Amino acid sequence: MKAYQADIAKFTDAETQVFGISVDSVPALKRWSEDLAPETKGLSFPLLSDFKQRKVVKDYGIFNEAQGFGSRATFVIDKEGVIRHIEEGSTAIDPSAAYQACSMLKKK
Amino acid sequence: MLKKALCLGLLIALSVMALAQQTSQQARPPAAPKTHLKAGDAAPDFTLPATDGKTYSLSEFKGKKNVVLAFYVLAFTGG
Repeated sequence: MKAYQADIAKFTDAETQVFGISVDSVPALKRWSEDLAPETKGLSFPLLSDFKQRKVVKDYGIFNEAQGFGSRATFVIDKEGVIRHIEEGSTAIDPSAAYQACSMLKKK
Repeated sequence: MLKKALCLGLLIALSVMALAQQTSQQARPPAAPKTHLKAGDAAPDFTLPATDGKTYSLSEFKGKKNVVLAFYVLAFTGG
């Protein structure tokens, strides 16, 4: 999350909107965002809350039924709404692959 | 006679061990799910509330911006 915050200008430059997303409630995410970036009173990109229905984590196929929450993954979606890049597991923490995918899209 | 008893004992011990291993494997939590989606698929639309007080839909970015969705396990966890 902090890595995205550090690189947010790169993503903005690549005409990309970044969202963090989890199954937490909005107040919990707000507090987390403020904890991660206390100097700016929150991250400079919004965090989405899939708290009520856990529908989006299910739609994207990363919901863990046994545990009741999603797993770590990053999806890069182009302007036509098509998925261009997927990263799952611990490597998804590093935003550089996602950024690369976005800058490729910009060149098109 | 003693040999027979030893053999039987060994057999029982082995089967108990095998059973124990089987149950411990069942108790292990399932691996993290792998998404059914792949590059080139249409991204499922969503409408969700966000920390900035707004509600966002994927469809509102169509033709305007790329979108990066970074899914996190739970708030206050690493990454």
